[in-house]
Parts: sequence; structure tokens; C-alpha cells
Amino acid sequence: MSGRGGESAPDPTAPAIAFERVSKWFGAHAALRGVSLAVAPGERVVVCGPSGSGKSTLIRCVNRLEAHDEGRILVEGIEVDDDPRRVRAIRREVGMVFQSFNLFPHLSVLENCILAPMRVRGMARAEAEELAMSYLARVRIPEQAEKLPHALSGGQQQRVAIARALCMRPRIMLFDEPTSALDPEMIKEVLDVIGELAETGMTMVCVTHEMGFARRLADRMVFMDAGEIVEAGPPERLFRAPEAPRLRDFLAQILRD
Amino acid sequence: MAALAGGLAYVAHRFGSVLHYRWDWGSLGGALLHWSVAHHAWRAGLLLEGLEATLRLALWSSVLTFLLGFGFALCRISRSLYWRLLGGLYVGFVRNMPLLVFLFLFYFFLSSQILPLLGLDRLGHGAGPAARFWLGLLFGPPRELSAFVTGVFCLALFEGAYVAEILRAGLQAVPRGQWEAALGLGLGRRETLWRVILPQALRASLPALAGQVILLIKASSVASLISIPELTYMANEVSSSNDHVFETWTAAAALYFVVCFGAASLFARWERARGTALAAGPRA
Amino acid sequence: MSPSRGPERASRPALARRPRPPERYADARPGEIIAASPGVAALGALGFAATLFVLVWLAWRGSRDLGYAWQWYRVPHEIFRRVGGGWQAGPLVEGLLVTLGVSLRAMVLALLLGLATAAARLAGTPFLRGLARAHIEIIRGTPLLVQLYLFYFILAPLVGLGRFWTGTLALAVFESVFAAEVMRGAIRSVAPGQWEAARALGLGERTIWRRVILPQTVLPMLPPLAGILVSLIKDSAIVSVISVFDLTNQGRNIISDTFMSFEIWFTVAALYLMMTLSLSTLVNGIERRVRRLRA
Repeated sequence: MSGRGGESAPDPTAPAIAFERVSKWFGAHAALRGVSLAVAPGERVVVCGPSGSGKSTLIRCVNRLEAHDEGRILVEGIEVDDDPRRVRAIRREVGMVFQSFNLFPHLSVLENCILAPMRVRGMARAEAEELAMSYLARVRIPEQAEKLPHALSGGQQQRVAIARALCMRPRIMLFDEPTSALDPEMIKEVLDVIGELAETGMTMVCVTHEMGFARRLADRMVFMDAGEIVEAGPPERLFRAPEAPRLRDFLAQILRD
Repeated sequence: MAALAGGLAYVAHRFGSVLHYRWDWGSLGGALLHWSVAHHAWRAGLLLEGLEATLRLALWSSVLTFLLGFGFALCRISRSLYWRLLGGLYVGFVRNMPLLVFLFLFYFFLSSQILPLLGLDRLGHGAGPAARFWLGLLFGPPRELSAFVTGVFCLALFEGAYVAEILRAGLQAVPRGQWEAALGLGLGRRETLWRVILPQALRASLPALAGQVILLIKASSVASLISIPELTYMANEVSSSNDHVFETWTAAAALYFVVCFGAASLFARWERARGTALAAGPRA
Repeated sequence: MSPSRGPERASRPALARRPRPPERYADARPGEIIAASPGVAALGALGFAATLFVLVWLAWRGSRDLGYAWQWYRVPHEIFRRVGGGWQAGPLVEGLLVTLGVSLRAMVLALLLGLATAAARLAGTPFLRGLARAHIEIIRGTPLLVQLYLFYFILAPLVGLGRFWTGTLALAVFESVFAAEVMRGAIRSVAPGQWEAARALGLGERTIWRRVILPQTVLPMLPPLAGILVSLIKDSAIVSVISVFDLTNQGRNIISDTFMSFEIWFTVAALYLMMTLSLSTLVNGIERRVRRLRA
């Protein structure tokens, strides 16, 4: 083990996220098999692949919602391991948006957004509210701030979830199939918000099935299958000239409809 | 149905013709309220005094029940196997035992082994009249304090196991995504539990918890068996002294019914009000 | 909302709720909720055993210092005793049999009464519905002990009922309310489409009840009814108050003779635990099988 693993202060010169031969099992099922991947600061990576290929597990290991079994994961030079201080330090800097929104149903939209800034960053309420309102304005729902989440549409809820994550001013954002639970007419409003975010130069890792979105936005596309990274590269090349047969099959299926 | 009606008719027939029971509700009056010559005021009779003690018992054991239940619910969902086993043992032990057996076991244990160490009997000796009034209102007469405390602890330790299960179910019913979202934002486990999970769990368990309070009021009747002078105990006393068994027990049952049914209706109304407030969306 | 009785009942609404759609790895908990490492778990189990040991030891020492003489060796005598050449049931086993006798008889009666109440609530005239409703609310709104006294002091002398049957009847009436609610819930949980389909086929009301609706209610009703039997066994301890010689009362009698309070109450508790746990295991088995049958 190198000495770097013990540090808990982020190193901005290191890769934003580095996977080194990471493996993860659920019982006998291997969700990740020796995955290696480095995400540079400011890079926008889209992860795609058939369901059950380990995409979600991959990004859930970054902020330790799942614990990997083998290999190393470094986030801005901090090793992701069992140490609760390092895990919390990473979670402070890494925002996450879930497929099922996971807004806190008992808190208003505004309260959802200010909870972590106040409790984790120790921000004063007024300051946190100001911050939250500015991000709610950015996701274009400032007028819903006092409502409870279930009074909102799915698309609005997901935009709140994005604002909530942004309120922690993360340097890295993880998106776990952010549009999969949405009705078709709401997908665009959420993708637009994510697209605007991408232009700010934030490091982003996004698991999605929206191929058009991936093509427009991603610096790099990663195709996973059966817990392995099968092929990675600029999206244009992957779409134009996929090398791996598995990726060709996947694209053929997805682009058919 | 016909058999039931027949049975009821038979009972009524026996009642009217065979026993020639003489109804005398007047005799019951004194057991509810009586005019005290010494104090020149209406005083609560034995039954109302008993009711007061029942409510007192229910109040304090409810408080203690929820504290214990909450503690054991936390044990049951703990990350550490140690606490889970400890919580599981308590809940499994208590929930598989009759209240009566539990009461006798702990009554003997508490009253003979633990309470003498606390020296409760001396409590309130130095208190002034105002303090005594409040102590009396909240905890009953000082000389009965030690029995009262035993009763409260027995009931709370018993019902606490049921509350623990209600709260555990509530806590575990909160979707996993809530944990993930809060932890992912950088909140600690304790803060997540306190600010995100628990409020949702409590909301979901409120009807069951309210039901548990009513169960506790009813269960407190068993405390009469360890000589705590609550409603059931008093009804026993009154019925054996005035020989009007029927009227006394009917009155006691009616008092319990008023309290329990009233509480249930109140909870239900509150629940409905809360439901509509939630459905309305934005909060004031 | 009406007061529910114990978590067996309290958890019923939760059972009725549809299960959440399974997440991808529904069985895997987030790493922070349950400790994963088997080493830590083993340590926890060891610590738990150590705590139990220390607690028992402290209780033992403390009670001995206070002058309590432990006489566990006398307990087996109360369970089985040797008479002449053979074995005979001791008072505790006799009490156990009485407890089971009261509970099972009360269960049968409670099912019949519960069925009548549920039928009255679902299909009766307004008068019958009101009567059933009043029956349920009164029984739920008063303590079992007070009901028992009402039966014992008033009904028993009126109709010349013995103590055993008085206790059984009081328990049956008390539990019948919960049985009625279980039955009503099961009947109402049959999808309305079943009624519509049966009517559309031209079946009569009676046939629909007998051939379509009731058969569908039997399986889902079994686990909660078995849960009622478990409650009944525990609640039956209350008949000891009117001098029925059930397990609890036998325990009290032995203690008044021998002063072995702890030993006897722990034994009695263990015997109840045995009955309820074995029944609960059975219920779980039934529940699993029912779920498989319905799947």
C-alpha cells in the first residue's frame, strides 16, 4: 500500500477518480471484474452498457455506497476504504444523483437543499438558503422551494435532486441513470440541466441509456458488459467504428429504436 | 346469529325472573363523587380516584415505554451484531410471554431487589405543600409511590418491546435510497438517522404507536393484581363492599371505554387532519 | 383508526401494502447500515455471550448476598414427578395442558363468533351492522381483565357457568373481535374484478360467495389467524385470576408453597416461550407456503 492512501486531504493534481483493478462481488455474482479507469479533472465520462453490466455499481463504489472487494479507488488522491473520515471527506466533494431521485419526502424542496450545507459544511441557515435558491434558480424551479417533493412532477423532483447535490459545491458529480425513472416528456428538461452543468467544467460521470445525450456531451464514452470495461474512447469513434462485437450488438439494439 | 339471540334472551330471562336482581344505580353515586363534609366540597369517589391513578400510570409508562422502545429499536437496527443480539433477546423474550407472568416476575424482582435501593419511600418528605400537591397529582400519594414506580416500570418494560418492534419496522420501511442520498451528501450515520430516517419512520408508525397507547391503558388494568390502586383494583374494592357487582363493573368498564374510545377517536381525527394537511402540499 | 392490539395486529397494514419493486440488489444493504466483516460479527457475538454471562453471574451473586437461596434442583419435580414406578405430570405440566385446553377451545369459539361478526358487518341489515360495530368497539375499548370480571361476576352466576368455561368464553369473545377483523379484511381484499367476473357469468350471489369469494380468502387468512392463536395463548394467562388452574396459576401456587419466585417464574416464562415460539415457527412456515402458493 502506498503512503498516499492514508491521506485525507484532496490533491487537485491527481486524477479526479482512479479505479485500479477494482473487483466487486454480490455473493457469487461478480459485479465488477478488475476494472481500471482514470477520470481526469473536468472530464465528462458517460458509462453505458446493458443492464446488470456493473455500471451503477462502478459509480456507487466511488462514494462508498458499495464497498469494493479488490483493487483501489482513489478520489482526488484520497483512497476510498473503510476509514469513515476519508469516506466522509470524499462524499463532501462528490455529488450524486439517483435514478429514483431519493428526495427526503418529509422536507420541503428548500429544506432538502440546505440540510447538508448546514449539517456538513456548518453553513448558517440564511447563507445556505441563499445558496440553495441560486441553485434552484439554475435548475429553473425557484418557485417550488416551499413545496414538499411529492407535490412535484418527476422531472422537477430530479432537478431538485441535482440542485441538492450542487449545494454542496462538489467538484465531481455522479449521475446514476438520472432519466430512467422519468416519463419521456420530462427527460429533456433534466438532460438540459445536466448539459448546462457540463459546460461549467465540472468532472462528471454519468450512467445513462440516452445515447444522443452521450454523443453530444461526453469527452469519453465507456462501454461496460459483465462487470468489465469492454471499450472506451471518444463517443464519435465508438458510435462510428465500434471495435468490440459486444458493443456493436449493444449499439445495434439501442439505436434501432 | 339465532343461537346468539337465543343465548341473550336466556340470560335476560334468568336476570329478570330467576335472580330478581334489584338494580340500584344510586348506590354507585358515592363511588364516583361524594360530598365531603370535612372539606365542604365534592370529592372524587373511589372509582374516579382509580381512574385518575390509571391515567397517571398510563401517562408515565407511555413516556418510559417510548424511550425504551426507541432505544431497543435502535439496538435492533444497529450495525453491531452485539446490539442486535441484545435487542433481539429482549424483544423476543418479552413478546413471547404473557403480561401477567412478566408482571409477577418483575414485580418480585423490582420490589424486592431494586427499589429498596432507591429509597423512594423517603421522597417528598421535605417538600412544601405546593410541591406535594404537584407530586401527588403527577405520581399519586407518596406512600404508594414505590408500588406505583414498580407498576410503571413493569408496564413500560413489557410494552417497550412492542413499541421497539413498531419503530424497527418503521425505520426499516424507509427506502434504502434515503440512506444513500443522505450519506452520499456527506451526512454522518447519526445525522442521517436523526434528520432523515427517523422523521419518516415516526410518521409511518404514528397510527400503530397511538394504538399502543390505548393498549397500554387497557394493559394497566393488570397492575391491579400487584395492588396498585387503579381503576380495576378500585372496582374490585367497591364491588366487594357495596355488593352491587353488576353496577360497579359496568361503571368501571364504561369508564375504560370512554377513555379508550375517546383517545382512539381523537387519534383518528388527528390522523385525518394530518393526512389532509400533507396532501395539500406546501407547508405553512 | 381504531386501536390495534400488539404488533401482530399492528403490522397488518404493513403486510397488506404491496412490496416495493425489488431494487437491483435488494438483498445487499448499504455498507454503512449492516457491518459486513465476519470477524467483527464474531466479536459482537462473543461480546454478547460475555455480557449475558456477566449479567447472570451478577444476578446470581447479588441475590445470594441478599439471602435468596437458589433451588433450581427442585424445579424438575414440578414438571414431572416419579410416582410409584412411573412418571406423572407435575403441576406445571398440568397447568400447561389447561392453558392449551382453554386456548384451543377459546380459539374455536372465537372463530365462530368472529365469523358471525364479520358476516354481520359485511352483509347484515343496518341493525346487525350497528350491533357488530358496537360489539367490536366495546370489546376493543375495555381491558380484557375487566371483561373477564364482568363474565365472572355477572354472567357466570346467571347461567351457572363454571370457572373454566367462564374464562374460555371471555377469551373467545375478546379474540373474536380480532378474528372478525381478519376475516373482514381477507374478504374485502378479494379484487372487485372477481365479483364483476362472477356476475358477468350469471352466477347467483350465494354461488359467488361460496364458490368464488370465500375460497380465495382462506389462504391469506391463515397466517393472521394463527397469530391470533399465539396471542390467545399469552392472553389466556389472565384466567388464573379467576382461579382456573392454568400454567400461570400453578406457578403462583408453587411459589406460595416454596418461595422459589425466580426459578418458577423463569420456568413458567420458558414454557410459554416454548408454546408461542413453536407456534410462531409454524406460522412462518405456513406464511412461506401460502406466499409460494399464491405466487
